[in-house]
Amino acid sequence: MKKITLNFILNEEPVSLEIDENARLLDVIRDVAGLTGTKEGCGVGECGACTVILEGEAVDSCIVLAASVEGKHVTTVEGLAKNGKLDPVQQAVLDHHALQCGFCTPGFLMSAKALLDKKPNPTRDEIKMAIAGNLCRCTGYQQLVEAFEDAAKEYQKG
Amino acid sequence: MQKLSYLKPQTLKEALGYLKEYGEKVKPYAGGTDLMVQLREGSSRLKDVEYLMDVQALPELRGIEVREDSIRIGAMTSHTEVNESEVLRKHVPFLSIASSTVGSTQIRNKGTVGGNICNASPAADTLSPFVALNARLVVVSVDGEREVMVKDAMEKAGKLKLAPHEMVTSILIDRIDDYSTAFIKLGRRKALAISRMNAAVALKMENGVIAAARIAPGCVFSTPDRVEKAEALIVGKAPSAALFEEAGKAVSEEMIARTGIRWSTEYKKPVIEALIQRALCRAAGLPED
Repeated sequence: MKKITLNFILNEEPVSLEIDENARLLDVIRDVAGLTGTKEGCGVGECGACTVILEGEAVDSCIVLAASVEGKHVTTVEGLAKNGKLDPVQQAVLDHHALQCGFCTPGFLMSAKALLDKKPNPTRDEIKMAIAGNLCRCTGYQQLVEAFEDAAKEYQKG
Repeated sequence: MQKLSYLKPQTLKEALGYLKEYGEKVKPYAGGTDLMVQLREGSSRLKDVEYLMDVQALPELRGIEVREDSIRIGAMTSHTEVNESEVLRKHVPFLSIASSTVGSTQIRNKGTVGGNICNASPAADTLSPFVALNARLVVVSVDGEREVMVKDAMEKAGKLKLAPHEMVTSILIDRIDDYSTAFIKLGRRKALAISRMNAAVALKMENGVIAAARIAPGCVFSTPDRVEKAEALIVGKAPSAALFEEAGKAVSEEMIARTGIRWSTEYKKPVIEALIQRALCRAAGLPED
């Protein structure tokens, strides 16, 4: 398998990685960049555990061809906290006890952040729509929706 | 996973050159939402493929342009872009709504209208509004450009009638500014489900009478189509729930005429009738129950 060099901006840092030509973005993030916060659940774009933000939009990294993100901005869950301070979506999930096993959490956080970056004052339905592509099998969604409603208030403060 | 080489043409000419040179060995990569899953599954559809051709850099595949009597949508336009386009919301609201029902936010951000058609799934959510809009695929190759009606483009499920060296660059749809439209999708659940069945309809009203109608049921024929018998039935008449019930029955009769009685017919017949009736009522501004 031929390797190619992939240059992109990962969590605001330019990176240059040797990757397989047909690697998935998920594999590059986890196995090449070594950032294992992004999880693989279903591998077919149904569960959202692998959600990252690509150029401002939530995408399932398991169905993105890594080579296609050349030159682009990718944010993973590791890129959320700034200077040791959690992002409001992270803090709100803690405050609302909105996780149990935590496997789905990074994906939910990225979906919520993509929404709030675009729309800091979403309706409850818009929050539900934004996380409809993320599955949680233990906590359920009530606490998550409430957490992101709270996080929205912090985003509105700017 | 299958080992494939990556191509990223910077111009349409370069892309068409690859298609000419490699033919069936090259597969265009648009949003990847279906292709990456097929790759992972080792789908037989990809058995001859050796190259993935990333078409994101080609400007000819982008943009939404309103022309005098048609609208051009670039094949790489994502479902999110279709849904959020003010122009499409104004001119063809049912296409915008259909796009909003595809997959999930993540899928809509990557998945493209061109891909939705080219993947040739009879369960594609945007197919019925496109068929109702007499959509044409703009197909190009080194030999030139041609147009193919979306309703005629599918050879069978999963396969378009395109030559190996051809690719779709955009989709042209009718402007139907004076119609009111509706799209209703029935999925097995609200999020992430493909259409079990859907209905896309458009009505043009003049002096309280239906002057023109387009009725496109989704996922009931092996290849998508309008049902002209049902359209003819309601044109020239005043809209009513009873009339639209008749139109629904005409659609289910057409379904049975084309696909025969199947194990699922007992379920699909009353359901497609109800979907068509409701969609027509919605487009006509009548109560839906």
